[in-house]
Amino acid sequence: MSKLNRLAINEEGFIFDPDTGNSFTVNQTGLLIIKALKENKTEKEILELLKEEFEVEEKEAQRDLIDFMEQLKLYGLL
Amino acid sequence: MYKVAVSGINAVDNPGPGIGIAKSLKESDLEVMVLGLAYDAMEPGIYMKWLIDKSYIMPYPSKGENLLIERLLYIKNNFGLDAVIPALDAELPLFIKNASLLENYEIKTFLPTNDQFKLRGKDKLPEVADKIGVKIPKTKVITSYEELIEATEKLGFPVMIKGLFYKAYKAYNISQATSYFNSIVEEWGYPVIVQEVISGEEINVVGVGDGKGGHFGLLGIKKLWITSLGKIWTGVTIKNEKLLSATEKFISEFHWKGAFEFECITKDNEIYLIEINPRFPAWVYFATGVGINLPARLLKAALGLEVERDWNYEPGKFYIRFTDDFVTDISEFQKITLKGEC
Repeated sequence: MSKLNRLAINEEGFIFDPDTGNSFTVNQTGLLIIKALKENKTEKEILELLKEEFEVEEKEAQRDLIDFMEQLKLYGLL
Repeated sequence: MYKVAVSGINAVDNPGPGIGIAKSLKESDLEVMVLGLAYDAMEPGIYMKWLIDKSYIMPYPSKGENLLIERLLYIKNNFGLDAVIPALDAELPLFIKNASLLENYEIKTFLPTNDQFKLRGKDKLPEVADKIGVKIPKTKVITSYEELIEATEKLGFPVMIKGLFYKAYKAYNISQATSYFNSIVEEWGYPVIVQEVISGEEINVVGVGDGKGGHFGLLGIKKLWITSLGKIWTGVTIKNEKLLSATEKFISEFHWKGAFEFECITKDNEIYLIEINPRFPAWVYFATGVGINLPARLLKAALGLEVERDWNYEPGKFYIRFTDDFVTDISEFQKITLKGEC
């Protein structure tokens, strides 16, 4: 099972990793990205979702996505 | 009604496991009267009558096995005693050595064998780790100052400086390492263990081995918040398959009998074995709280009753310790001080 798939995520953005016992909170942007990654969406598809959901420009959405994915890597979740 | 003695009822800032064990026994489907074995009249468990029905002051383990057996026989003859669950490191060698003698007196225990008990030595961990497929931090067993210097040069700082069975300090430079080395030698003697520091997630397992390669349940946890003495204050259940299967392998490989705590660190998907404690940890009630009453299961095994083996728990269950207080009469203190029991 991929690391992301094992995570328990609730609608308020509380994330629990049952493997390590670590917990995280994410904002609505993070929640959308993490859910989309779990659904195996491509980066392009996630960008479209971000633009649509939060009414932001491509550049801003791209920056948020890259930042967030770096954070996930840092915590060993990606 | 089973009369069961439990030690480690020192529910203080560095708590023994006794209160967690007593609470678990009281919540089990067995009718149990808990007898507290205390080493000091100030141990709070003595006065917690809702959990510890009766308490006895015990001779210090350093006074030898004869006094211990004598005291247990006194309890058996005067009050009744079916089983003992010792929970303190210092007592375990005496109880393990005398397990069959106690059995002859119809005082049941469910303890590791002497050979299993020796596995907790940090010089034995490489052998254990190798057999169960986990790693251990790079370790040097040393017996001199020269070897300390050599070990720290090889491992680099920070390093852990540990006694063979007790005490562990993190040293960031050679003067700290020397000071911890001296303090361990003074208290516990040689050898001293110098170990690489692994920075990862600290995860633990509590369980009871059946002595035949199987077990009566396991619980994996992560300590979330610890006190300045390194004791758990909050924790969460985890299901780390690698950790749990390593623990099962440990039990089957060594036919572990009795309670144990497995202390590990996980880093980059690897499990590093840090310590094996051959007894229940002070947080053992966590297991009972999630439906795996390990103290009751151990008692059933000791008594030769049928024991449950299911251990399907949910990850994400939260453990919280808290402080509490109550008031009693000084006559209780007087009784335990003058008569050694109350």
